Amino acid sequence: MANKRNATTIVAILAVVVLLLWRPTVIIYGLQAAGLYATIAIPMGLILGIVHIVNLAHGEFMMLAAYATYMLCQSLGIDPYLAMIPVAIVTSAFGFLVYKLTIRQALKAPELNQLILTFGLGIAITQTMNLFFTSQTRKMSFGYVSASIDIGELSFGVYNFVFVGFAILMVIGLRLYLTKTTAGKAALAVGQNPKGAAIVGIDVDKTYGSVFAIATALVGMMGAVFITRSAVFPTVGSPFTMKSFCLVAMAGIGNIPGILGASVLLGISENFLKAFRSLRGWSDIVFFVLIITVILGRSIKGKKA
Amino acid sequence: MKNKTSYAIAAGIAVIMIAFPAFLGAYPLNVARSVMTYMALAISWDMLLRSGQISFGIAGLFGLGSYASALAVLRGGMDPFLSIVFAAVFAGVMAYALGFVVLRLRSMYFSITTLALMEIFRIIIHNLHDFSGGPEGVVLPGVIFKGSASALYWLCLGGLFITIGASYYFEKSKMHLALTAIRNDETSARSNGVDIFKYLLIAFVVTSTLQGMMGAIQVQSYGFTMPDTAFDGNFTLLPLAMALLGGVHSTIGPMAGAVLLGVSAEWLKLQIPYGHLVVYGIIIIIVILFMPQGIVGMVRKASRTGRRSGRKAGASNE
Amino acid sequence: MSKLTTVGLTKAFSGLVAVNDVSFNMEEGEILGIIGPNGAGKTTFIHLVSGILMPTSGTITFKGQDITYAPAHQRSRMGIARTYQLIHPLENLKVIENVMVGAVFSKDMSLKAARLESERICAELELEGLERDTTQLSILEIKKMEIARALANEPEVLFLDEVMAGLNSDETKHLIATIQRIARERKLAVGVVEHVMGVIRELTQRVIVLEAGELIAEGPYGEVSKNPRVIEAYLGGAA
Repeated sequence: MANKRNATTIVAILAVVVLLLWRPTVIIYGLQAAGLYATIAIPMGLILGIVHIVNLAHGEFMMLAAYATYMLCQSLGIDPYLAMIPVAIVTSAFGFLVYKLTIRQALKAPELNQLILTFGLGIAITQTMNLFFTSQTRKMSFGYVSASIDIGELSFGVYNFVFVGFAILMVIGLRLYLTKTTAGKAALAVGQNPKGAAIVGIDVDKTYGSVFAIATALVGMMGAVFITRSAVFPTVGSPFTMKSFCLVAMAGIGNIPGILGASVLLGISENFLKAFRSLRGWSDIVFFVLIITVILGRSIKGKKA
Repeated sequence: MKNKTSYAIAAGIAVIMIAFPAFLGAYPLNVARSVMTYMALAISWDMLLRSGQISFGIAGLFGLGSYASALAVLRGGMDPFLSIVFAAVFAGVMAYALGFVVLRLRSMYFSITTLALMEIFRIIIHNLHDFSGGPEGVVLPGVIFKGSASALYWLCLGGLFITIGASYYFEKSKMHLALTAIRNDETSARSNGVDIFKYLLIAFVVTSTLQGMMGAIQVQSYGFTMPDTAFDGNFTLLPLAMALLGGVHSTIGPMAGAVLLGVSAEWLKLQIPYGHLVVYGIIIIIVILFMPQGIVGMVRKASRTGRRSGRKAGASNE
Repeated sequence: MSKLTTVGLTKAFSGLVAVNDVSFNMEEGEILGIIGPNGAGKTTFIHLVSGILMPTSGTITFKGQDITYAPAHQRSRMGIARTYQLIHPLENLKVIENVMVGAVFSKDMSLKAARLESERICAELELEGLERDTTQLSILEIKKMEIARALANEPEVLFLDEVMAGLNSDETKHLIATIQRIARERKLAVGVVEHVMGVIRELTQRVIVLEAGELIAEGPYGEVSKNPRVIEAYLGGAA
């Protein structure tokens, strides 16, 4: 077992070295993409790990936050980074409300009802935005986004590394929260055994609500960062829901740092395909193939154990 | 005796539906086709749901059927009608092969994987430019039956009847016992001789075949398609909402839901060009939260309560 | 004639050995008690024999045929049926349909034949109101329904996992008599897991005792209950 893990690590390191020499941009852009994926997947992982709900409306919260940022910045003429905190608060309040009004009511229902419920929530949110804003894309441009570095022949954009920074901050922050604070420890206990946690006096409902609020706050922050570099439209969040679920499933439910690793794998694989002109169109398929492989691998392993 | 009456009513409705083209114009027939397509998809989705597996991949099989049929005509010179049969079989065979992998999964893993498969199909079609026409799609040399509104209507109705028939068979045969046992309690099913994988595979293949068939009928009736139309997420969303609203685990529930939502969808589409789909999202939420048994379930419950006094629960009087 | 035999049957869950090297034998028509303190591996043992779990090592033979790795649904077709410690009603099926599942899938009967057969079995168990939903049943009726479903598999070996749990003393007496009657009439080998020793004493001809996954004693209840090792196992388990 340990040997196998060592072998995997060595193969991974070799692959990275080869790629660095051959196409450094695959690694650079791969990491940047990984940062973006991880920042959105980590809050989903938090909800799945503690509330045990797959929130299929997850990407939609990011989309809402991006729209909120857009409107705030357009009307006040401020930078999205200034809007980040107020948007996070608003998204969090909305997330908490959605939890209280819908998801909380379905906690005792079969898992499949919960799945359909959040699927419906996602549709309702996307289509409400479609109703008010139409499917037109909206974009803001900022000078700092195009910052780039030249090393010899190599030139690449550096702005997207902010996502890597946010991802690392998120993992550290959540780790501190879950292991050092009373509320965080309670959340961890609820995640592992809600009935047991209730018996020792932890308010499970309150914990679920606060986890939802924290996760949607994080997604809200990332929505604000997202719009600095990407256009926003009503369905922009949906692919992130899928990718996030894929990453969480790859990492294993409850393993938040693992999401970072999974994101790196996904980001680099996608950018590897993008490096070949003829294969560029296939890069979207990578995570679907990954998700299916990983899920199946897990289910077969689970059966053997 | 109760059975006889309901058979007579069903036959009557079938005759009226077959006769529709005699007194309806092209536009209503077009609307009817759209409703019937969604209805067939809703029923087929429900058929698999009876085993407890939620598929988010209806649009995937639908799109696969569309493209199999279109490409068989375009690249293989197949007869359009034959291509519909071919597409249905093709979707079934694909489901059979995929089933060995996908049907090991349960709950959210199954659902998300079916969604992922749909995306994979779409991306493959998107990228096989030379063969599939890529993102611009394909245009067929002509519409089946020379585009006769009545013939197209009957074709779609035929697909719907086949679907209803299959669903009815699932309700009345041992499939009913097998799928319900699997949904309620796999362990108990296993120790009572139910080969779980076999029955899941049958259900998955049959429902995929039906979805592929409806996709093929759709593409032959319009004469063109492209990845974003054939694999449109609405072909997953609408049938799901219809079945939930009408009442799941039955044939009549998805049918009722499809009539209600299908007709109102046509109206809403005209009223609100952008975002009319919000209605479906809200319906899904409301149904899951407040009426998980759907309209048919509620009606059944009400009539059962009403009849309770007159009925004696005893051994079968068959 | 020996119906069901295990040799060296072992099941380990990531280090924890739940069933350890159990060899036993079940004869036609006998009612066998499987007893032991909590966590002794009784239910795991039944899971192994009925195919719900696959063993780590050892063999299981049914009527001379090796079934060690046969899937559960095949074993029920061959003639090994069981009920569960926790009740497992199929709540979206009516009572009669619950029973029919066994006949339809293990015996390949048509729905009509299965219905008749199931009605016959329910009559045999004095279970009535077969068109009801399972939610309308009393505990005794649910237990009877589950036994009926197991019998619809036409088993030669039947395992009952704590079938008396939750019943009052009259109901227990009634069910003991019923089980003895059907075992006699159907020449059925019955394996009974039970905590109440009174039930074991009345119902069984022979018992095996498991402790920490190992078979520590075997014989008629009267003898085994005097075995110092068994007494110690129970006292140790209680302490």
